[in-house]
Amino acid sequence: MAEAPKAPEQPAPRPTSRLPFGLNSDRRHILYAILAAIVVFAIGAAVRPGFASFAGISAVLVVASFVGLVAAGQTFVILIGGIDLSIPSVLNAAAILLVTSTLGDDSRATYGIALTLGMGAGIGLLNGVGIAVLGVPAVIMTLAMNGIVEGLMLGLSGGLTCQSCASYAPGVVQAAVHGTLFGIPLVLYIWALVTIVVSIVLSLTTFGRRTYAIGNNPIASHLAGINVPLTTVLLYALSGLFAALAGILLVGFGGQASLGMGTPYLFESIAAAVVGGISILGGRGHYLGAAAGAVSLVALTTVLQTLNMPEYGRDILYGVVVIALLLAYGRESDSA
Amino acid sequence: MPPSSVEVSRSPARPRARRILRALAQNFGLVLAWVVLVVAVIVYCIIYFAQQGVLPGNFEATSTINNTMPLVLTALGQTIVILTRGLDLSVGGIIDLTNALAALNFADNPGTMILWTVLILLTGAVLGLINGALVAIGRLQPIVVTIATLSIYQGLAIMVLPQPGGAIPPAFTSILVNDSGPWAGLYCVGFALLWMALRRSRLGVALYAVGNDPAAATAHGISIVRTRLLAYTMSGVAAAAAGLFLAASSTAGDATTGDSYTLSSIVAVVLGGVSLFGGRGSGIGAIAGALLTTMIVNILFFAQIDPLYQSFYEGLFLVIAVVSTMAIGRLIKRRR
Repeated sequence: MAEAPKAPEQPAPRPTSRLPFGLNSDRRHILYAILAAIVVFAIGAAVRPGFASFAGISAVLVVASFVGLVAAGQTFVILIGGIDLSIPSVLNAAAILLVTSTLGDDSRATYGIALTLGMGAGIGLLNGVGIAVLGVPAVIMTLAMNGIVEGLMLGLSGGLTCQSCASYAPGVVQAAVHGTLFGIPLVLYIWALVTIVVSIVLSLTTFGRRTYAIGNNPIASHLAGINVPLTTVLLYALSGLFAALAGILLVGFGGQASLGMGTPYLFESIAAAVVGGISILGGRGHYLGAAAGAVSLVALTTVLQTLNMPEYGRDILYGVVVIALLLAYGRESDSA
Repeated sequence: MPPSSVEVSRSPARPRARRILRALAQNFGLVLAWVVLVVAVIVYCIIYFAQQGVLPGNFEATSTINNTMPLVLTALGQTIVILTRGLDLSVGGIIDLTNALAALNFADNPGTMILWTVLILLTGAVLGLINGALVAIGRLQPIVVTIATLSIYQGLAIMVLPQPGGAIPPAFTSILVNDSGPWAGLYCVGFALLWMALRRSRLGVALYAVGNDPAAATAHGISIVRTRLLAYTMSGVAAAAAGLFLAASSTAGDATTGDSYTLSSIVAVVLGGVSLFGGRGSGIGAIAGALLTTMIVNILFFAQIDPLYQSFYEGLFLVIAVVSTMAIGRLIKRRR
């Protein structure tokens, strides 16, 4: 840690950007995101005693886990220079599909979860096909898909007035969020598992290498023999899958589904990725950064809410943070 | 497009029919948009006649035009930005904020109304200028910048007007939205004339040049930064005008009323034959696209489809329109 402050004083080896202890700019950004989370917790503890207590931290982490899971999918598509704007309605539709397919019955939970995850992955797959095979720009395809899923969700559930729409999430799903093991909420184990799997996939598998390669240069990747359309389709399917997973856990957290529950997660997932140093142009960054970014953003909102910041303050704050970081990190890569 | 410029210089020697064909081919999207619009109006009239036994009259024409005006304005702004290879996802937020400001500040005397109309249009210009500065001077990706500012503007709108309310003086409503006839159609004609003037101005040429080939535009002395700044500023002003129109027609304000316009404006632009890749298309096409979007909703309404499905159809038509225009574009290219 003592080496970290030295980083800015080393302009000489810029071209390779290799700093002592292998702190290249990607890893530095992860470190910044983690440091930001620690600083926010420290400030929180100062303004409200007990904020950085075990219970306080775990409460923040539980809320951050939903953002973090969505950000996992968003990270995959941002790494290839794409974006997934269909997350809000996929997440919301997943929550509604889970309660309507299980009707709160534990015995149908497995079927409901499989169905919901399948729906998420299926929608993501369609996004990927539209982008990679039909050549529709990612923003347009996923924005249109957001409308398509939203319209279907509203129409089929009659604006969430259907009888089964009021069902609760099955007990096991609620327990998967609220239950604890060694005093730690179960959802955090799920998130930790996802973090480990995503990190391994991105860093140690050929699929991960292909993802970074496409993000850096799709044409060169194609020439190098990578099946670019297939990889793209799979990545968007993963994004849909993670949005659906977050929807399942979120309805387990709150008990019931509601309209608009997915809306904040689009921008929060992008913000978490940007805070974590994932380049919005693709090809650079790591999920660990996005996970740390999710924690620091949620912690910051929680601190400000204890200081009576109104709900809309979060929207403004996230927007400002994202633009400030884009400007800061953008400059850095300009000079490199 | 070097080959076409060569052919154009030769064109006086060609027969007149071929010249007309060429003009048609060059403005294919624009022509198609108006043809489809006429077809949609005819289909609407037939369905209306089949159900009501009379043809749609003054009331239907007036409400259709009045309901479409905000979309026409937003789509025109969006067109200008898309021509420069950009995208403005923040239009919804600008409409929210300007709509809220209008509802809160309008009082029933001419002085206040004129003052606040000017102030609100200026607000739109400043909000657009912020987008433009971040994109053009900050050299950030338009998509992420405008998602971030969308979040900020939406937050500010709710801060200004937490609950739907406020009041718009009837005088203002009757000036902008005249209920006695489809007079707002004259605005469309006005905008079309304005567009033709813009197309022939230095700025208009710059917009197309920057979208077609930024490097060549710079080589010809066009400032990319200035052009993009102006494009986003104009989009902001157009969205602010849309916010005023919405306030006038609903006679009250709502800080979330503009949210759906981000998707709708892109749908209208694409249906209007404007290329999402910049440099191609016309605001006159976008006006047709906006009217077409409303006509589709009208037809769906009379075909007894639940209005809850509206965004489903918008999304679907967006994908179909993008895919088919790309296919047609490829076809034309192959035939040359």
